[in-house]
Amino acid sequence: MPVRKSLSGAADEAVSEAVSEAVSEAVVRSVRKTVLGRLHGHAAVPELVGLEGPVAAVAALLRQTVAGGEGNSALVLGPRGSGKSAVVGRALEMLEAQHGGETAAAAAYHVVRLSGFVHTTDRAALRDIARQLLITQDLENVLVGSFADAFTYILGLLRAPSAEAALPPVVFVLDEFDLLAQHPKQSLLYTLFDIAQSQQTPIAVVGLTARIDVMDLLEKRVKSRFSHRQIHVHPPPTLEAFVQIARSALCVDAAAAAVPAAFARRFNARVDEILAAAPVARHIEAIFDLAKDVRQLLRLFVPAVAALRPDDPLLAPARVQASVARDAAPAKAQVLASISLLELCLVIAMRSLVQGGSSRYNFEMVYNEYKTFMSRHMVAVSAGGAMKIYKKPVALKAFETLVELEIVRPALPASTAAEGAAGGGTHGRNDMLAGTVAGARVPKEYRMVQLMLEPGQVADLVAARVDIPTIVRRWAQ
Amino acid sequence: MADLVERLGQRFPGRREQIEQLVELLGAADEPAPGCVFVYGPSATGKTAVVRALFGEYGREGRRHAVVSGVECFTVRLLFERVLNAWAGHVPTAAGRYGNYARCDTVVDFVNGARALLQGRGGEAHYIVVDQAERLRDRGATLLAALARLRELAGANVAVVLLSTVVWDKFRPRHGGAPDPHAVFFPYYSKEQVLAIIARDCPADEPERFFLTFVDAVYEVFHRNCVDLNELRHLVALLYPKFVQPVYERQAARSEFPRLFKLCQPYFAAASERLYLREISSGEWLKHSAVASAATAPEDVTLAIHRMADAGDALDLPYYTKFLLIAAFLASYNPTRLDAQYFARGPQQGAGGRRGRRRGPAPKDATGGGSRQQLLGPRAFAIERMLAIFYSIIAEPVDSSVDVQIQIASLITLRLLSRASAGDRLDGVKCKCNVGLETIRAISRSVRFEVDRFLYDFS
Repeated sequence: MPVRKSLSGAADEAVSEAVSEAVSEAVVRSVRKTVLGRLHGHAAVPELVGLEGPVAAVAALLRQTVAGGEGNSALVLGPRGSGKSAVVGRALEMLEAQHGGETAAAAAYHVVRLSGFVHTTDRAALRDIARQLLITQDLENVLVGSFADAFTYILGLLRAPSAEAALPPVVFVLDEFDLLAQHPKQSLLYTLFDIAQSQQTPIAVVGLTARIDVMDLLEKRVKSRFSHRQIHVHPPPTLEAFVQIARSALCVDAAAAAVPAAFARRFNARVDEILAAAPVARHIEAIFDLAKDVRQLLRLFVPAVAALRPDDPLLAPARVQASVARDAAPAKAQVLASISLLELCLVIAMRSLVQGGSSRYNFEMVYNEYKTFMSRHMVAVSAGGAMKIYKKPVALKAFETLVELEIVRPALPASTAAEGAAGGGTHGRNDMLAGTVAGARVPKEYRMVQLMLEPGQVADLVAARVDIPTIVRRWAQ
Repeated sequence: MADLVERLGQRFPGRREQIEQLVELLGAADEPAPGCVFVYGPSATGKTAVVRALFGEYGREGRRHAVVSGVECFTVRLLFERVLNAWAGHVPTAAGRYGNYARCDTVVDFVNGARALLQGRGGEAHYIVVDQAERLRDRGATLLAALARLRELAGANVAVVLLSTVVWDKFRPRHGGAPDPHAVFFPYYSKEQVLAIIARDCPADEPERFFLTFVDAVYEVFHRNCVDLNELRHLVALLYPKFVQPVYERQAARSEFPRLFKLCQPYFAAASERLYLREISSGEWLKHSAVASAATAPEDVTLAIHRMADAGDALDLPYYTKFLLIAAFLASYNPTRLDAQYFARGPQQGAGGRRGRRRGPAPKDATGGGSRQQLLGPRAFAIERMLAIFYSIIAEPVDSSVDVQIQIASLITLRLLSRASAGDRLDGVKCKCNVGLETIRAISRSVRFEVDRFLYDFS
């Protein structure tokens, strides 16, 4: 843990300093700003735990292009949140330290960033490439031709007007590479890889993606021009490394952040304390076991960091624990925890329909189930106290609340259900109320729906309630 | 910061914890903002009110923010242009031909516009608040991912606040591009909180404790089927005047709660459900409802309420059209194989003779209770079958001047029947009946027809 060592080293020098309790407003502000920046992803975590290998690989590749004039291409692969962007970002920082200029225009190379989320067509990507290369010329008449021609023309504009010198190197960072690969004809990728391979211009193409099968998406002609260099980024292998990421993000470095060394030491000691405390450590372990998601881990500490004040300049364990508790609570169960008794009864009725073997049902069936149960137990109920069978319109209104919460969703017809599972699928709005799905000509009471809860979840839901009659409780078992 | 939480906490009872969470998350204007904050919870829990009030305060501090609605912005262009307008402080005016700050057709335009706009603002945080964010899922597969990562893409200090009734699980894009946001959950109000909020509706000249006792009673009656605060407020506002009326008529004192409740009983029993279902609109209620007083007999009150609720939905159709609709209902719900038993007039019987259930077997639950036609909904039927039933159930011969086909067409126009076959087909037309059993019963009563004798397997 190199960071801690250097920090405690700095603290040892300052041991003679009097440990002052009060910390100035400016110091707390700067700590808050630095740490929040790291937690929210504005700034990179100072130490990329376990990612030295990929960083070195990407940095070497970029250096070869910028310094050596080679054309290069590579893919950075790794699961979501494993640090692909951080790796490339760090490599670019290193490159800038070596070859950067005062301004973007004065640098010895250019960086173009594209993202599959934003650049949904090759034309849009091309336009944005021109913008990022600071080309102000009107390109409308260039863009009508073929993609490759337009692209080489744009690169050609980079040439310094005076000399017949070589073109400056360009680094292309392609975020969400798999989405870019889904553009028709893949002309963007083809052109980029082609230029990188044929050495016309020194360009480096670095694609980032979470899809391990991304090579299968590439057309043959694109694949053959790609260097097949893959750099894998793995999530932290051990729990210690995972915790170290959090520590590295939370600790302050006295030298870098203009913070008194004594305070930095106290602050970092508190961080260690919190990370070691039982409920927090257990939750971090759960995150590690489940997803190894670094962003989820860092999110836990935001409230505590945001609440730092001069009179309370250390992280408050209580706040971290509260946010851990919030993070651990299942969202759906939270929403359902206080639905009305009638809504709960409808949920239980749907569950018993599911257990009776029907996978799709409509409101009429649910209401029928509810009514049958209630009238069968009416004798017992009337002895127990106020519980009545609600009329159909009232029940329908309660049912629609469940639809609004998307606890109940329209069931797809058997034919489209298979299609939806295969790909595409209807992800959007809950169409039961909008009435635009197939079969919408049917009155809404008869539209087929599905309960989006497992039978076990319903049982948990009922078990967690204290205010429901015994009869309903027994029904749910 | 602390006094902001304090101030808003006073305005929104029971939401203090959520306000504190939000204020902490969003931080100060010059600090790094969280990429995406997701505010969720059932409706009527104060999500929009709290967030709008909070950003109202931020607006007074000079923070730039845009509040947009997922329903209003039915294209991404509207969403993006409104956001940029709000950030730039640009108000479309007649002089500028209602132009926007910048034209944004795609995410690229927006990201570039945002970057250009925010570059000169020195890292000051900018915010987007999207109400009804669940609708954003319909605006293209990558929009949510792009918004959730807007900070990264635009390289600016931007926070997106999404408000929704749906949990984040239902938002997560298929390709997993949006990292999970910071979540703030707004639960339903507890009983104490509900009382504290409705207490603010207490009329100025009424004693609050008296009012709250009434609210308490209403809550106890209704929380079992509805915990929505707005519904409770609606009911309280409409029923309370009836409840206090006897006090002003000096028929009961404020301390006599049991007596007051007894006088109010007919309203609770007959009207509350209809008010809740909006069968009686609040305007109608205020204008036409009988004055509550000990002088009015409870039966009169009930009758008046029934009259009010039923005035709207009496289907005023011509005589033969009513029979057509009944025939359509029977054709939709009865099995074809039993038509002969129910409707055939044998040579040995005269017109209007024995028919119906006495001959039909009609076993209860013969097909299994779960898949009865009554539960499955209307089935499509051929028009010819409906006409056959129509001529069978109508007692006297139909005058030849009655144009049945036109009546069918007008029933389809009224959406009482819906066409189940392609619209351009002229023969073999199939229809479904869109009317429920209760309405059919009411119509049958009006033409003195016993529909229940012809229904197979209904309960």
